[in-house]
Amino acid sequence: MANAETALKEATTVIDGALGAALVDYTSGMALGAIGGGKDLDLTVAAAGNTDVVRAKVRTMEMLGLQDDIEDILITLGTQYHLIRLLKGRGANGLFLYLALDKNRANLAMARHQLKKIESELEV
Amino acid sequence: MRRALRQRAERRQLMTAEPYVLGELRRLRARVPQLTGALAASVDGLVLAQDTGEVEPEGVAALTAAALGVAVRLSDATGRGGFRELLVRGEHGYVATYAAGGAAVLTLLAEPRVNVGRLHLEGRRSGARIAELVDGALERPDLTP
Repeated sequence: MANAETALKEATTVIDGALGAALVDYTSGMALGAIGGGKDLDLTVAAAGNTDVVRAKVRTMEMLGLQDDIEDILITLGTQYHLIRLLKGRGANGLFLYLALDKNRANLAMARHQLKKIESELEV
Repeated sequence: MRRALRQRAERRQLMTAEPYVLGELRRLRARVPQLTGALAASVDGLVLAQDTGEVEPEGVAALTAAALGVAVRLSDATGRGGFRELLVRGEHGYVATYAAGGAAVLTLLAEPRVNVGRLHLEGRRSGARIAELVDGALERPDLTP
């Protein structure tokens, strides 16, 4: 079992092409932890903005009457992939992992697989 | 007496910024739909511009000034430097106050489901913009009648 800091460190070192990662509370839009980023990628802004993305999808599913959960969300940009993975399990409700990847260096299938593993081992 | 006169003159100068500050508050409320009110006040508790709906702005401005007094001292006494922001979470929502230069503050009222991360981002940005407007008004005494 890993804590938030270790999990984020693992996400940015193990996953090829990682630009930055954050653990975000989408009930408040604030990051519990963030690593990487820098001036090209402000992770505080990303945490707040992607909270709106997750909330919109949750609301859409409610309106569609879908009795299901979001596992992850993929956003493909011209040069980057953004992966959002919602946390499951006890005490981890209302949190998601956010990972930004360089499209040229990343392997999407592998990144998704690794993020899933990191998420399953994360204890908040 | 002279001090009172100077304060009154300053207040008049501050009020010249009112339409611009009100415009900023309206834009802010459009950007963050979970806001239920926005108010810019001078640090001594006078309303500069407000869009607070049902809440009485004079009372909020006066309470903001009182809370600000404590917050400034608390931040200073614990070595945290000048005042930047203040967040209060009640059962039915948030009250957030952001510094807007040396003469003014921005107070926002929000629903409990607001995205606090976004509230901070927009509140800080708006506070900086209001600071420019207010400081601009204070530097142009010739414009006051």
